[in-house]
Amino acid sequence: MASKTLRPKGRVIAAYLAPGLLIYCFIVIIPLIISLIYSFYNYSGGASMKFIGLKNYQYLIKDMDFWNSFKNNLVIILLSMVGQVGIALVITALMISKLLKFKAIHRNIIFLPVVVSAIVVGFLWTIMYNKDYGLLNFVLKSVGLGSLIRPWLDNPKYVMFSVSMPIIWQYIGFYLVIFLSAVQGISPDIYESADLDGAVGIKRSVYITIPLLKDTLKVAVMLCIAGNMKIFDHIYVMTGGGPGTSSMVMAQYAYINSFIMFKLGYGSAISIGILVLSLTLILLSRKLWGGKDNEA
Amino acid sequence: MKRNIKLLALLVAVSMIFSLAACSSSNVSEDSTSSSTAVQSTVASGSSQEPVTLSFIHMFPNEDTEGNSIAFHKAMEKFKADNANIKINEEPLSHDNYETKVRTLAAGNELPDIFIVKGSMTSMFIDNKLINPVDDVLNADADWKNSFLQGAFDDFTVGGKNYGIPFQMLNTHLIYYNKKLLNDAGISTFPANWKDFLDAINKLKAKGITPISLGNKGNWVAESCILSTLGDRFTGPEWFTSIKEKKGAKFTDPEFISALAALQELAKVGAFNSDLNSIDNMQQKTPYYNGKAAMFMEGNWAISNVINDAPKDIQENTELALLPAVDGGKGDPMENSAGGAWAYNVNSELEGAKLTAAFKILKAVTDADYAKIAVESNAFPASNPKDVDKSKLAPLSSKYLELASKIKAVPIYDAQLSADLIQVMNTGLQQLLINNISPEELAKKIQAEYEK
Repeated sequence: MASKTLRPKGRVIAAYLAPGLLIYCFIVIIPLIISLIYSFYNYSGGASMKFIGLKNYQYLIKDMDFWNSFKNNLVIILLSMVGQVGIALVITALMISKLLKFKAIHRNIIFLPVVVSAIVVGFLWTIMYNKDYGLLNFVLKSVGLGSLIRPWLDNPKYVMFSVSMPIIWQYIGFYLVIFLSAVQGISPDIYESADLDGAVGIKRSVYITIPLLKDTLKVAVMLCIAGNMKIFDHIYVMTGGGPGTSSMVMAQYAYINSFIMFKLGYGSAISIGILVLSLTLILLSRKLWGGKDNEA
Repeated sequence: MKRNIKLLALLVAVSMIFSLAACSSSNVSEDSTSSSTAVQSTVASGSSQEPVTLSFIHMFPNEDTEGNSIAFHKAMEKFKADNANIKINEEPLSHDNYETKVRTLAAGNELPDIFIVKGSMTSMFIDNKLINPVDDVLNADADWKNSFLQGAFDDFTVGGKNYGIPFQMLNTHLIYYNKKLLNDAGISTFPANWKDFLDAINKLKAKGITPISLGNKGNWVAESCILSTLGDRFTGPEWFTSIKEKKGAKFTDPEFISALAALQELAKVGAFNSDLNSIDNMQQKTPYYNGKAAMFMEGNWAISNVINDAPKDIQENTELALLPAVDGGKGDPMENSAGGAWAYNVNSELEGAKLTAAFKILKAVTDADYAKIAVESNAFPASNPKDVDKSKLAPLSSKYLELASKIKAVPIYDAQLSADLIQVMNTGLQQLLINNISPEELAKKIQAEYEK
C-alpha cells in the first residue's frame, strides 16, 4: 500500500483523469444519450421532432426484419467463434509444436489481413466470388468440381456463409497474436514438468496449454461477440444486405433506417436495441463460462 | 520474451507502414479535392458589386466524362468569368457519395447554401423547412421558366408548388439491345408485345446468350429502370397519380400485382444472369460490351457510357427500344418513366444578396444556354436548347433523341414516392427476382409500409 504522503491529492488525480474522461464522454457517452433521446421521437433529421414515447420500441419488438438481422449477427458470431477463435487456437498449437517450420513467415502472413481495411477485403472477396471471373469458381472448375459452382452471393440459403468467410479470414491473425503472446507467457517450467510426466504433443495442448489459456480465451470470445455484433463494412460492400434482407445485419439495418429511409428516431431505437442485445450476450457468455469459477 | 518483442516491433512496423500509406493516400486525395475546390473565382478589385461567398455541393467531379458534368463545368467557368464578385466554394462528389452526403447533411441540418435535391427527398426537406418553393423566382423570369421541358418539375411539385430547379431530363428505362445478336437468334425486329418478347428471350437463351444483363446489387436498378415502366404498362398513369395523392389506389391492386408477376416471370424464364443481385449497374454493362448479353435496361445516362466505353462493333449494333405492350394493360407502350429526378435548390436560410446570387448561379446551370452545351456533350437537359449543332452528336444520341421525342413521360417510382416506401419496394424486388417472395406477398408488404 502506498503511504499517504506519496499519494497525490484528489485534485491531481482528477486532473490527470479529466482529458481521457472528457474525450470518452464526448465520443461515447454523449452520443449514446443523444441516441436514447432521439429514440423517443419521430424524427427525420432537421427541425421537426415529434415525441412518441415508447412507440419506436413497441414497433422494434415486432419488427421481423430487425430480428432477422439479429439472427444473421448470431450466425456470424457462431461461425466466427468456430472459425476465428477455433482456427487461431489450432494454429497456435502448431506454432508452439516442433512440426512447423518458418514460423515467423507464417505468423506474419496470417496477421497481414488484419491491417487491411474491411472495405478492401469486402471488394477482394466480391471479386473472388464473382460468377464469371471469380477465383473461387475458377479453382472449382479447374479441379473438376464445376458442379459445386453456385451464385455465392445470390442465394439466400448460403449468402450468410459466403459473407462470413472474409470476416473469419481477416481476423484469424488477430486472435492468433493474442493466443501466441498468452502462450509465451506460460512459464517454461510447467512444460518441463509436463514433459517429465510424459505429456507431449496433443496431450500437452489439451491438458496444459488450453487450460492455462482459459482467461485469454474468455477475452477472445468476448471480443469476438462484441466485434461481430457491430459488423457492418464487409457486408455493406459485398451484398449491401441483399438479396432482399437475407444478409442484413443489425448495424446496417440501423444505417438504412436512419440515412436511407430518413427514420432517424427509429434508427436510434435500433442502435439502442443493438446495445442492449450486445450487453446481454456478453453477460450471458460470461455467466455460462464463469459458472464454476469464483470470479464472475 | 525476446521473440515477443520482435513480434511486437514487427507488428507495429507493419501497421505503421499501412497507416502511413493510408495517410499519404488520403493526403493526396485531400490535396486533389482542395485543389479542385480551389477553382474559386476571387473578388475582382474593380467590381462595383458587393462580394458574396456561397457554398455549393454538387455531383459533378471535374474529371467525370459524363455529359452532365462536362456541361456543368463549362457553364460554371463562364459564370465565374462574368461574375467576379461571386465567390463559390464548391464541393464536388461522385453521384453515390453525393447522395449519402446530402442525406447526412440534411439529417444534421447542416446543408450548404446551394445543393441538389432528389425527388424522393423533397417531402422530408419540406417537413424540416430546409427548402422553400422556387416559383416566385421562376415567375419573375419568364424566359427561364418557359425554357423548361414539360414534366421537368413533376418530381419536385408538392401541393402545387415547385421545390427545385431541374437540370436534366431522365428517361430511367431504355432497352439497349444488340441488333446483330437478335438477328442471329432469328429476331428481325424488336418484339412489339409481351408474348413475342418472351419468345425472343427463349430464342436468345437457346443460343447460349444472356438475354438481359441485370446488375441489381444497388437494388434501385430493377425498380427505377424496369418496374417504373413495366408497372405503368399494366396500371396506366392514373393509378400512380391516385397512389401519390392517396386517393384510393393500392399496391395490392391486381394491375400492380400483375406487373410484379411479369417481372418475376422474366426472372423465372431465365431472362437475367444468375448473379443479378451481386453485381451493380456498371458491371451489368460488361457482358453486353463483350457480346455475351443481348440487352440491358438502364436510363438515358448510360448512353454516354456506351459511347465512351463500348467496343466499336457493339456500339454500332446498339439500338434503343422500350418495353413492349402487355395484354390487357392500361398503359400506352410509348409511355416511359421519366423526370428530372434531381434538382437544384438553395438553403431556406439564405437571404438578401446571397439569395439573389445563388439563383443567378442556378440560372446559369439550368437555362437554355446551358441546355445547348449539355446536348452537345451528349447529356439530356431539362430545358429546351437553342439551335443545337447536330453534327456534334454521337449516332446513339441521335437515335435516342428521335425516340425521346415520341416518349410520353410517366413517373419514376423512386423519384416521386417517399424514401422509406422505396426502400421496402427495392429490397423486396431483390427477393422477387430470385423467387424468394411471391408478387402478392411483396405487394402486401409495400402496401403495409404505404399505409404507415
